[in-house]
Amino acid sequence: MTLLRSENLCKTYPNGTKALNQINFSVDEGEFLVVIGLSGSGKSTLLRCINQLHPISSGAIHFEQQRLDQLQGRALRQHRSRIGMIFQQFNLIPRKSVLTNVLAGALASTPIWKSLLGLYSKAQQQQALAYLRIVGLEHKAYVRADNLSGGQQQRVAIARALMQNPKILLADEPVASLDPSTSHSVMKYLQKINRELGVTVICNLHFLSLVRTYASRVLALKDGKIVYQGAPEDIDEQWFTTIYGEEAVEVSIN
Amino acid sequence: MGNTMITEQQVAQAMPVKRYQASIKAWCMDVLLWSYSLLVLYKLGYQSWWLDLRHVDFYWSEPLYALLAGMLVASSLSYTKASVGKACYGLIAFDEGRSLFRTAAVRLGLLFLLLTLIAGLQVSQVSMREFFSDSGLAGAQRIFTALLNPNFAIFEEALFAAVETVYMAFIATALAIPVAFVLAFFAARNLMKNSALSFAIYAVLRFLMNLTRSIEPLVWAIIFSVWVGIGPFSGMLALFLHSVASLTKLYSEQIEAIQDGPVEAMTATGAHPIQIIWYGVVPQIVLPYLSYTIYRWDINVRMATVIGLVGGGGIGTMLMQYQGLARWNDVGMLVIVIAAIVWLMDYASAKIRAHLK
Repeated sequence: MTLLRSENLCKTYPNGTKALNQINFSVDEGEFLVVIGLSGSGKSTLLRCINQLHPISSGAIHFEQQRLDQLQGRALRQHRSRIGMIFQQFNLIPRKSVLTNVLAGALASTPIWKSLLGLYSKAQQQQALAYLRIVGLEHKAYVRADNLSGGQQQRVAIARALMQNPKILLADEPVASLDPSTSHSVMKYLQKINRELGVTVICNLHFLSLVRTYASRVLALKDGKIVYQGAPEDIDEQWFTTIYGEEAVEVSIN
Repeated sequence: MGNTMITEQQVAQAMPVKRYQASIKAWCMDVLLWSYSLLVLYKLGYQSWWLDLRHVDFYWSEPLYALLAGMLVASSLSYTKASVGKACYGLIAFDEGRSLFRTAAVRLGLLFLLLTLIAGLQVSQVSMREFFSDSGLAGAQRIFTALLNPNFAIFEEALFAAVETVYMAFIATALAIPVAFVLAFFAARNLMKNSALSFAIYAVLRFLMNLTRSIEPLVWAIIFSVWVGIGPFSGMLALFLHSVASLTKLYSEQIEAIQDGPVEAMTATGAHPIQIIWYGVVPQIVLPYLSYTIYRWDINVRMATVIGLVGGGGIGTMLMQYQGLARWNDVGMLVIVIAAIVWLMDYASAKIRAHLK
């Protein structure tokens, strides 16, 4: 069943940069879609256009029978909360505990005055701890988030996204700031929530070896256009040079 | 491809225009420098020294003539290398091998500087003769002897006045915190640039704050002492107003310097703007805020003593009274108490701020 659909999506930044040009694709429920492409090819912009962190210039984004790009205010926030997001720089709240960071994922479903006072319900706290258990960090719940290692911070970010109870998880270069072994650990957690919790994942990646291991489908961008859509196994040498250019050499990560 | 060609053409056309603009600016700069120098030479060199006039009058026609003369000189020199303006706007190619001090423009610039230095000494009436005169030295000795023999009988009185000063500074700071905290969000460019309305609020607020800050607390104290009467209250109001303005500026700069990441992450969770600020912005600014606020209290204590001089209450007012009565032994005591408090506040605030890092 189609969960998310993009129709002739275009994005031009105020400075005139055309970041996305006529993007058409759809994502089915339960997919692990990986978006690849060079830096500046529009991967990050695409993810941010999906949850409207960046407003789109033209085209449409359909999510759960709704035009996301036409929503505003409360309705937009409600739908955004159904789309989790994790980032290359983790973007946790500094000087706050891991648990507080995870609970921040429930902001959209918490009254403002309660969230300002930090009054989360027992059920919410239980749930936050449960998600921390899924990413294997239950014992770090009361540690300050900025004291954790990079890989651990990214796992907290995953738990925070899960706290939103999302249908889709957007992952913007989730392992680009991590070392190889930590990268695999974080990717395995993403695979786990994709398979066990049934959360659809759209993930930007740099390393083709990671793409082959984890992706169920691949979408390649070049200069803001889709140049390849298909199975990860079908990316051969020729496609590789089309996507990354003549001088690129495939680097693997073990 | 088409794009790049257009830009190259534009650049080719823009270059002479830019050069033209720069040479006009350079000429204006030369005119100003020469008019100023000629005016100073006339007033100082001709009237004050050559004619040895006791009192030099000023007429509005003089700067006008100076401006005309400056235009003449600047124009006649504009095709030579002796032009400070052309050097400043990069219109003169400097010879790498030669010393800068052998360049005509640099030498001319130094000459202008020397002229200003001489004029400054003359205008401030700097006089070694006055400084080392017998009667002057005797007076200085009298005051220093008295200051160094402070009158300990008024120690209690001075201490009470000092406590008043510290509390006054504390209340001014404490009341300024919530006001500045709220205003800072409206004075932060990164939060307000998104719509025309919010940017207008930002611009107006920034302007008002800069205006308030550019008026010294001493002047505010004079205004408030007329408004609410002489005493600690007027001093407190003056410090409060100045603190609000400067804390708003410091706080908002801190907000402008935050990382966008947490804000973006909170937005992506579907949080309300208020929640985004509370979770994405506030945790990043709490410690710098505390540090600035304590520093501000420290500054306020120091300013409070000065403000007392114009009737802002506390130890400053006491200082002003005793100095008016020429009771130098008492003044000596007050100076010691003020120095001790300022040192203590300075030390304590530095310690606390170091631990907040």
